[in-house]
Amino acid sequence: MKLIRSDARGFVFHFSKREKQLLLQTLQLYPLVPAAHHRLARSAESPEELERQRLLEEALAEHRRENRRQVQAFLEEPRRFVEVESGFQLALSAPQVEWLLQVLNDIRVGSWLALGEPEPGEEPQPDRHNAHCLLALEVCGLVESVLLAALGVQESPRWR
Amino acid sequence: MAETITLPDVEREEQTGSKSGLEPAWLVICWNDPVNLMTYVTHVFQVVFGWNRQKAEFHMLQVHRQGKSLLARTTLEQAEHYVHQLQKYTLHATMERES
Repeated sequence: MKLIRSDARGFVFHFSKREKQLLLQTLQLYPLVPAAHHRLARSAESPEELERQRLLEEALAEHRRENRRQVQAFLEEPRRFVEVESGFQLALSAPQVEWLLQVLNDIRVGSWLALGEPEPGEEPQPDRHNAHCLLALEVCGLVESVLLAALGVQESPRWR
Repeated sequence: MAETITLPDVEREEQTGSKSGLEPAWLVICWNDPVNLMTYVTHVFQVVFGWNRQKAEFHMLQVHRQGKSLLARTTLEQAEHYVHQLQKYTLHATMERES
């Protein structure tokens, strides 16, 4: 996957046939983060805090339903990927890139949770129930990196 | 060679919430989830708070190196809004009343 061009209308990315398959397979996993994962506060005990938590969960559930609907439309649109000689091209507007980042990171974080939240450098121990999460984790990370680079967000040497 | 970078004056900037004493302030905190890409966290901070790259990177590095970063000190409604926006991007964000 790589950025071919960007202009005021948005971005055009190139995918190989395998990359396209992997992205579409991965998107079908959305949503992957359990609803109870998001907490407004580290410990909610008072009635006001519990009510705020309930409202947050409702709002996030609605957001996820809308995202799921958009993922389904994305997967079912036959002309989403335009076949070219060397693979496929995908055109995305800036809001679509933002949406795709949110969806991919849900799948990435959900995969990480399913793999037991391994620390950096720690080898995940997948089993037959979550082995697919290892691939999803990598696919989401790769696609996110390309999308972020297209938006101009690059790693800085001083981060290390 | 040691690199010198100028960091935002976070403490002063965070003191823009309610300081009248009439309304308690709420703190928005982002916690480290090591799975998130550093570029991703930087980008989300820029989008949600409208920060420039330098300030977003400063807070991203604080999350990365210290495990958490205080992102905002603000009203209850605004804190809820920020936490909701950060969680839409699957960042681990919470809010708490300033003690």
